[in-house]
Amino acid sequence: MRPLDEKETTAVFEKIFKFTGNNLKNIVENPSHEGPDKEPGRYCFRLHKNKVYYVSDSLVKRATNVARTKLASIGTCVGRFTHGGNFHLTIECLNLLAANAKHKVWLKPTSEMSFLYANHVLKGGLGRITESIAPGDGVVVFSMSDLPLGFGVAAKSTQDCRKLDPNAIVVLHQADIGEYLRMENQHEQIIEE
Amino acid sequence: MKWELDISIELCFVDRQVTRVEGVNEDALEALYEKRRRKTLEQKENEKSVVQVDPVDALPVKSLDGERMKWFMLLYNAVSQTAEVTENEGDVDKSVVKLTKAERRAKLKKTKKEAKKMGKELAKTEEVQPTQQEAALAEVKEDLTAEEAFEAKKRKLAELGMALLADPEANIKSLKEMLQFAKDGDHSIVKLGLLSLLAVFKDIIPGYRIRLPTEKELEMKVSKEVKKMRFYESTLLSAYKCNNLLLIWACILHTIHGNMQQGYLQKLLALEKQPRFHHVVVRCICTLLDAVPHFNFRESLLVAVVRNIGSSDDVVRRICCSTIKSLFTSEGKHGGEATVEAVRLIADHVKVHDCQLHPDSVEVLMSLSFDDDLGKPEVQEGNNKMKNKKNKKRKNFEESNQPQGNDRKRSKQETIAKMKEEVAADYKAVSYTPDVEERKRMQSETLSAVFETYFRILRHTMQSSVARCVGPYSLHNYNEQCGWLLELCEFFSYNLFKAVSEANGNITSGGSGAHPLLAPCLSGLGKFSHLIDMDYIGDLMNYLKRLAARGSSSDSSAQKVQNLTVSERLRCCIVAFKVMRSNLDALNVDLQDFFVQLYNLVLEFRPGRDEGEVLAEALKIMLCDDRQHDMQKAAAFIKRLATFALCFGSAESMAALVTLKQLLQRNVKCRNLLENDAGGGSVSGSIAKYQPYGSDPSLSGALASVLWELNLLSKHYHPAISTLASGISSMNSAQNQVYISISPQQAFKNLLLEAESFKYNQQGGTQKSNKRKGRSTALASTLASVEPPPIDENEVSKKLRRHFILLRDIKENERLRGELDRATSALQLYKEYKKQRKPATLKNKKSKKARTTVGM
Repeated sequence: MRPLDEKETTAVFEKIFKFTGNNLKNIVENPSHEGPDKEPGRYCFRLHKNKVYYVSDSLVKRATNVARTKLASIGTCVGRFTHGGNFHLTIECLNLLAANAKHKVWLKPTSEMSFLYANHVLKGGLGRITESIAPGDGVVVFSMSDLPLGFGVAAKSTQDCRKLDPNAIVVLHQADIGEYLRMENQHEQIIEE
Repeated sequence: MKWELDISIELCFVDRQVTRVEGVNEDALEALYEKRRRKTLEQKENEKSVVQVDPVDALPVKSLDGERMKWFMLLYNAVSQTAEVTENEGDVDKSVVKLTKAERRAKLKKTKKEAKKMGKELAKTEEVQPTQQEAALAEVKEDLTAEEAFEAKKRKLAELGMALLADPEANIKSLKEMLQFAKDGDHSIVKLGLLSLLAVFKDIIPGYRIRLPTEKELEMKVSKEVKKMRFYESTLLSAYKCNNLLLIWACILHTIHGNMQQGYLQKLLALEKQPRFHHVVVRCICTLLDAVPHFNFRESLLVAVVRNIGSSDDVVRRICCSTIKSLFTSEGKHGGEATVEAVRLIADHVKVHDCQLHPDSVEVLMSLSFDDDLGKPEVQEGNNKMKNKKNKKRKNFEESNQPQGNDRKRSKQETIAKMKEEVAADYKAVSYTPDVEERKRMQSETLSAVFETYFRILRHTMQSSVARCVGPYSLHNYNEQCGWLLELCEFFSYNLFKAVSEANGNITSGGSGAHPLLAPCLSGLGKFSHLIDMDYIGDLMNYLKRLAARGSSSDSSAQKVQNLTVSERLRCCIVAFKVMRSNLDALNVDLQDFFVQLYNLVLEFRPGRDEGEVLAEALKIMLCDDRQHDMQKAAAFIKRLATFALCFGSAESMAALVTLKQLLQRNVKCRNLLENDAGGGSVSGSIAKYQPYGSDPSLSGALASVLWELNLLSKHYHPAISTLASGISSMNSAQNQVYISISPQQAFKNLLLEAESFKYNQQGGTQKSNKRKGRSTALASTLASVEPPPIDENEVSKKLRRHFILLRDIKENERLRGELDRATSALQLYKEYKKQRKPATLKNKKSKKARTTVGM
């Protein structure tokens, strides 16, 4: 477990910035109330076995007691670095993103399941969409009752969405909460390792 | 003969005074035209003899036989009055034109009788004082030659006009003569000439546009009647043109004079006479445009009208605006072409003047009406066209396949087709209704011009902010400090701007702080929002977003950027929502940025300074009408509205509470706020603490707070608000409540009305208050009732007394506690003093002892 170096930090922050915009500040400055200390600490990013974790300071201190090989996970896993050096967000960071999302899409109840099976969001399934989304922006996907379902990348701007036919793709799927069931095995394996 | 003349002069003089003292009744004015008619008939007989006797042409008094004399007087007075009246109010001369023949005759008789009476009186007065004015005679005579020429001209003018009206075709040549009058040196003659020409033209202009014959047509042989007709038309046209040119020339003259108002002796003259002249000219132009918008040279008329549409002169501006409005509303008269031209001209006008005009000049566009159904037939036509094309192709195909043997037949067919086309074209030209495509084209042109204007204004509002501190507009710097002076400042600076620009002669000048055109522009955008093209909406929303965000103090350049008022920014938000709503293509767009703006605007809102009406509208459109909200966002708005309902005026807080209630009804989870459970429990989300000054509603953490404001509001002095607040706070426990849903706007208006009656009640309602005591609470609960619920004075006074007693008690408490503190501290000090004193005395004793021992 170690802090991110400069290159890794920019990669992580750029990725998160796509989804949250200026709210990235809130993520970094979010006070943590964990641990025995009276004044709230901060959260920080830590790299451990190619995975990036969002951890409070006090937890980091206490985690130093555990040997590196024995440490399976700590705090919230935000994403992981691929072998090629790219950073990918994973579904575990959804709550973090959803609370600070800049661009949102609400799904109709009929198309929720489709999205939870890792399909892209089609225009027909769009219940609501925030204004001024540009193609390439990160978008958090919600159900109509404001439950975060996942996130993805916008394929079309809000303006273009008006003229699209119902079968066109609006948001490209990246991660959804269906993964917790579908990839249960993988997660278990990771922990067992 | 000379003596006679003098007497007549005297007579004239006296008689004018008499009539003035009596005050000529309005009928005399209308009588003018009757007089003219009579005169034309009789004058032809009398004129020769008069001219022979008197070298000063046409001195009707000469005959002194009663009849002529009277006419003269009346004519003079009438004419002088028309000149005055036309400047003040246009209604009277309209009535002149509209008189029916029967009325005319009746009036004629009446005036005759009056005139006879007057003549008799005159004779008497003359006998009474025959020599009184001999001394003044010489001077009067001098004046008279000019005056008489004036009278003569007037009379001549009247004659010509009557003749023209009686038989326009025969007397068409006299138009030119009348035009000569209008070029006279005397201002009032010019005025009269213009006015009478106006009346004549209004009557004789035909219901079609005149096309002058081409040379080829001139060569052709035509019947006598046609020739006559042509001559008539061409003369009319040339005269009309001259008239028009003259009018426009006069306009230009005026502006030039207006601009050169410095230092010359002429300045006085120009100031005194030009504005009057200007009024008459503008009135003429407007009436002509209103009456005959189809006729030739409409363009120049339009140019003149549009130029004056933003005039600083109230009268002129009102006339021009009403003319343009009537032009827009009565499109049948000119088939819509004039509308297109006018809108185009207004757009150019706004462009040239850099958006510094009176709001009226853009408000005019609101009266435009667009036909929504025009789009539909076009689709069908398109289909037809496709089919036709196909058919044609097929035909061509078939034709090409055919052997080319029968050339003669083909040529015959061609000629037939040509004939048909010609006939169709002719029919189109003659037929009254313009065809759909033409109308569609014109409509789209109009629309594009309108939106060009609106967008220009928006962009100008955005850009003007930078170059703001130039020249006299630093006045606006103070706007931030004294908000309530804002309107006033804007008004003054607008006028100042006008004056300065006129004095300098360059109306186009760089940035100014005021946005006089923004309000009408926004309302226009709201009205025509359903007609905006999809492609523009993105830009429009961007502009609106930036305008709404203007004035938020987070900008680093906030001091330089000119702040829009809160009402203006609220209006931007409203327009954005309207645009989005009317263009909903089954896509529900969440306008988050505007919600953020509204959230912050609620903070900046000051009840006295900003318009509560606008706030209520914004609340309704943005919060009540929108179906879905984020839970966080809704909670944030609920919390903030509740907080500010505490410090708003009663009407505004009513609107806020109604909105709050509807939000709570719709978002069941937000009712968590009503529970006494700080921290919010499971729904509070990631933010654990409520941030009352946060700028983003979704990050405010409002769900972690409790709506304690409602408890305070249920003790509000206004019964309606207190009942509503207590109703809301008990919303969670009482289940199957039937909610009366009224919009915030409605609530706002109701309360405003109530506030007025509240004041009224306070003045005279002390005796009645006992009666109402029992009913008041029951009545107050019916919120939306038409009658304002009576307010119980006793109740109010009791509440107030309780409040103030509490306050006084607190103060009393503080005072007492202070005294207690002082006493205890004094005691403590005394104790300490004693303690210190004791060891000291002990020491003293010891030292004394020591000394004594040493001494021993």
